[in-house]
Amino acid sequence: MPARNHRQWNDVPGVLKPGEWVDSRIYSDPDIYEEELEKIFKKVWIPVCHESELPEPYDFRTSSIAREPVIVVRGTDNQIRAFLNVCPHRGMMIERRPSGSFKEAQPSGNPKHMTCMFHGWMFDMKGNCAFITRGEDGYQDRLKKENVGLRRLRCEVVFGGFVWVCLNDQVPSGVEEWAAGCFDCIREAVDTEPLEVFHYHKAIIGTNYKLWHDTNSEFYHDYMHYHNRVTGFNDEYFARKNVGFPNGHVNVNSFTVKYEEYEGFESRETLSFPGFPPNQWYMIDFFPGMNFNLRGSALRCDIVTPLGPDKVMIEFRGLGLKSDTPEERRIRIDHHNSIWGPFGRNLHEDLIGVAGQGSTMLPGSEPRRILHGRHEDEFIHDEIGMRHFYDEWGKWMDRSPSNPMEKYMAAAAE
Amino acid sequence: MNANGTVTIDTVKDTVYRSCLLLDDENWDGFLELCHESLDYSITAFSPEINRDMIYFSHDYNGLKTLLEQLPKHNTDHSPLKRHVSVYTVDLDEKNGAASSVSSFVVYQNMLDGINSHLDSGENRLFLIGKYYDKFKLDSGRARLMERQARLDTRRLDKGSHFII
Repeated sequence: MPARNHRQWNDVPGVLKPGEWVDSRIYSDPDIYEEELEKIFKKVWIPVCHESELPEPYDFRTSSIAREPVIVVRGTDNQIRAFLNVCPHRGMMIERRPSGSFKEAQPSGNPKHMTCMFHGWMFDMKGNCAFITRGEDGYQDRLKKENVGLRRLRCEVVFGGFVWVCLNDQVPSGVEEWAAGCFDCIREAVDTEPLEVFHYHKAIIGTNYKLWHDTNSEFYHDYMHYHNRVTGFNDEYFARKNVGFPNGHVNVNSFTVKYEEYEGFESRETLSFPGFPPNQWYMIDFFPGMNFNLRGSALRCDIVTPLGPDKVMIEFRGLGLKSDTPEERRIRIDHHNSIWGPFGRNLHEDLIGVAGQGSTMLPGSEPRRILHGRHEDEFIHDEIGMRHFYDEWGKWMDRSPSNPMEKYMAAAAE
Repeated sequence: MNANGTVTIDTVKDTVYRSCLLLDDENWDGFLELCHESLDYSITAFSPEINRDMIYFSHDYNGLKTLLEQLPKHNTDHSPLKRHVSVYTVDLDEKNGAASSVSSFVVYQNMLDGINSHLDSGENRLFLIGKYYDKFKLDSGRARLMERQARLDTRRLDKGSHFII
């Protein structure tokens, strides 16, 4: 067919059904973005960091979910707890650094306390208010320490030591139940012994967070990774299946990667994870936008923080075993970096792809169809992973992904 | 410092500056000609977020050569990287025919692709800051790179790069 005029361009292409495309306004509409923060990101479990980032009592790590600042601390009982990183006095952000230890004193406060630098209010590692400066002088008996503890948040450490936080006190299930079995495929590999983060970098990209999740959820874009495709792909690569789980999560089944056939790569058979055969590769696409990618000798985790309809921060972590020898760790790092590092082969291409999508779907751009309509018996070029995700998204938002101005209906394509 | 030492220091500085001009021009073969066959090249950073030293990229001479030869097979951001470098210190170990230097660098992206080239091309964006920690083999009046560690302060790397720093 020749290039289309505006009417033809807006027609449904071919005989695709709703559910086999999404409307680009779900990636660009500011109102939909705000609604996503309220209806999804403030309601579900979000991984904010890994427990190895705060290994000792009094260690902390800061993050944010849906604009709400979050602080995660390890207590003297070795328990990890999460709080809003907000002083109950005047709303100052209590801790401004990304990580550190409260063992050391701060100019405004004593050691072993979280101290708000503004007026010196102090809190212990359980979020109790420990000290109000000139408390009785100012508040007499109208307000006491017991009245002004921090806002505690639901927090669990699960699935390889990731720290999960939920802003919703009434969240109906824990992380385990929310995951609905999607982690089972790598459970032994990540839960037999402690993991440790060895890599961290972040990207802020001018695109919608879901477009990054889409890229992680479809393998059809292996055409973009031309070099890998022409040198290393085999029949097994294409024989993997997407497996949907409740709550919008998706697995991509494993196969044995023959790294030695990729030009410029070496075999990775020597190093793996507990109970994980060498050179296997599982991916977990976790609703609403996190990705866990266990590929041979390294685990990668992407955590998205939406910053606007057309802006997302992605934090990239690489993990190995805490028990790694220096030589083993070095091998894991090299393997991780060759594909997933900021100067690696694939990540740069993936990020160019979603940045390019973001540039055509700016707020106010003309709505258009983004096709998710490939059916290939659920093998990796089947776009069932994205369709599964958007069906869940529609339920949470009560909007139809194919026409977000209408209420959710179960997609015909499913 | 004797006259010979001064000349050697200038030779080391010249290698650092030439390496940056060649990298700016994406003349990878030219850059490799400045390197010794035992080159150890790495891009590293310390992350206060995870409180850990990190290696973002690491290759020996042959690994780097292979990777650079494969660049045409990759989709990449075509925006050239332009390096601004100051050599801060050069330390000579002439007895062992070796030298080391520390240089500060700032790397800009001279936008070509950007996000939307209609808007972005021609603009310069700060991409990275950091320091080169270089080691050299002094031989026959040349200072060849044995080790280059590009140590980044930048950890927000956005789209990243296929180009070495």
